[in-house]
Amino acid sequence: MPPRPYLQVDVFSKRPGCGNPLAVVLDAEDLTSEQMQTIAAWTNLVETTFVLPPTQTTADYRVRIFTPQREIPFAGHPSLGTAHALLVSKQINKKNGEIIQECGAGLIPIRIETSKKFRRRLFFRAPSVKSITLLTADATEANSVFSQLELGELSPSLVEGGRKWWIAEMFDENALRNLKPDYVAISAMSKASDSMGLCMFSRCNGQDYQLAVRAFAPAFGIKEDPASGAANATIAAYLLDSGALKSIGNNYRVSQGREIGHDATIDLRASQQDDIWVGGECQTVINGNMNWID
Amino acid sequence: MTTTNNRRFLQCDVFADVAGAGNGLAVVLESENLSTEQMQAFAKFTNMSETTFVLPTTTLEASYRVRIFTPISELPFAGHPSVGTAHALLESGLIKAQDGKLVQECAAGLLPISVKGDGNNRCISVRAPRAKVIPHAANIQALLNTVMGNMSLGGLSPTLMSNGPLWWCIELASEAAVRQLKPLLSDIVVLTQASDAVGLAVFARCNTSEYQLVVRAFCPADSIPEDPVTGSANAAIAALMHEKQSLADIGNTYTASQGREVGRNGFVQVQVDDEGEVWIGGKTQTVIEGCLSWN
Repeated sequence: MPPRPYLQVDVFSKRPGCGNPLAVVLDAEDLTSEQMQTIAAWTNLVETTFVLPPTQTTADYRVRIFTPQREIPFAGHPSLGTAHALLVSKQINKKNGEIIQECGAGLIPIRIETSKKFRRRLFFRAPSVKSITLLTADATEANSVFSQLELGELSPSLVEGGRKWWIAEMFDENALRNLKPDYVAISAMSKASDSMGLCMFSRCNGQDYQLAVRAFAPAFGIKEDPASGAANATIAAYLLDSGALKSIGNNYRVSQGREIGHDATIDLRASQQDDIWVGGECQTVINGNMNWID
Repeated sequence: MTTTNNRRFLQCDVFADVAGAGNGLAVVLESENLSTEQMQAFAKFTNMSETTFVLPTTTLEASYRVRIFTPISELPFAGHPSVGTAHALLESGLIKAQDGKLVQECAAGLLPISVKGDGNNRCISVRAPRAKVIPHAANIQALLNTVMGNMSLGGLSPTLMSNGPLWWCIELASEAAVRQLKPLLSDIVVLTQASDAVGLAVFARCNTSEYQLVVRAFCPADSIPEDPVTGSANAAIAALMHEKQSLADIGNTYTASQGREVGRNGFVQVQVDDEGEVWIGGKTQTVIEGCLSWN
């Protein structure tokens, strides 16, 4: 097999190392599923994507997304990083407008925004939120998590977007950043409610971001996620539903990951429940070729 | 902070006859002006077991200088990063071996490297730090006995060896006993933590044309339940067999198979030379070649 283009990209990142890393293998059409899985285990990043020609005429490209353990139908940060890799490699030539990604979850629109103020930012449209359920007294495991916390104004809720997340507001940014999560209790809550875990946020004043977020999914081996695409969309849906975006704004910026040595920047566009976009900058860290001879 | 944005970068697979069979390594070939913090941050980003940074030598005897980082800390020396870094430099034409020899400058000092063969048959070996037997106390023996509860033991006594890191080296009765072992990981955590060991390695002699030893290495206390291919553990095992004059049947030069139980298929070439020094080496595959932007 000839060498094929390979990039390693940092997503939701204004500077290399701040965001969520991704490996992208272009021109992957002659790789088998087994080879893709072996490569994703070898690169050892949270996700590795493989770009293929689209099978649907409206799509610009097709992508398959693998963690080191398995293939997944869709995830936010791999979608943005893959679109970025294609733009950098000039396999897609667009300055503004929309790209259509074909993946296991269907056709996903990705919007390109370029302005004088910002470097190129990419946004994906998040899956629509299906339900928002307020915390009730009989949710024993959840109550034992939330009774420990200095909560803010809004009530904790279980929100179902593509996946289910518990969402809760912390009293202020300091309380959120200093929080020492009780992983055992969060894990029990997530198992009892068939959810990914817990997203905590706080509103922020006097910063260049309006929200600080931390996401915990210990039941899935992720103590804390450095930059969460889809989970931030469920927070936006919850804020929109509660009316809180009237003061925060429908376009707002999130800071995530500082507590674990990252410093991700995530931009949200949430004007309507069925039209929530999540995005940010991507940095090309490695640009080269992969030579996989097995 | 540097603005250099085109550092040459390779990611290779060490102790591997084909891509994906060995232990991955990221190598930054031009690391001048990267700070220690930037190196550590990049080693965290690659998430390889090790990332190395090549720098100009500070002494005339050295062929190259390297700093070695895991995602969490800097190491003075390690086997697979040394073999892979020498490969990356030879492959990129930045150095040439003199009479099959190179000298690596690293935090542990100047270490000799041997280069044999060409192209896909090239085998690079590094001399491992000299190993010694570490006696263990009676309370440790009880923990060891628990760990060995489900093992079918071989001829040599289980021994704690030090060649920088400390390794428990346990010979099992057969290749099948090694390959089918279900390690008692939580007991290994207790044993290795109580004895300051990095991990526990099991091995057995084999009767195949491909390899003469089978090895598995477990480091659950470092969150690595099983390491795919381990230079230092292989060196510790060779030193133990040499010390116990137990190499007669397989010889002073042999091949070890490691990693099949975790989906890899690594081969380590081991040699105990006339001075009793242990060399570990193997083939390396270049998987990724490109440019790095990191600032």
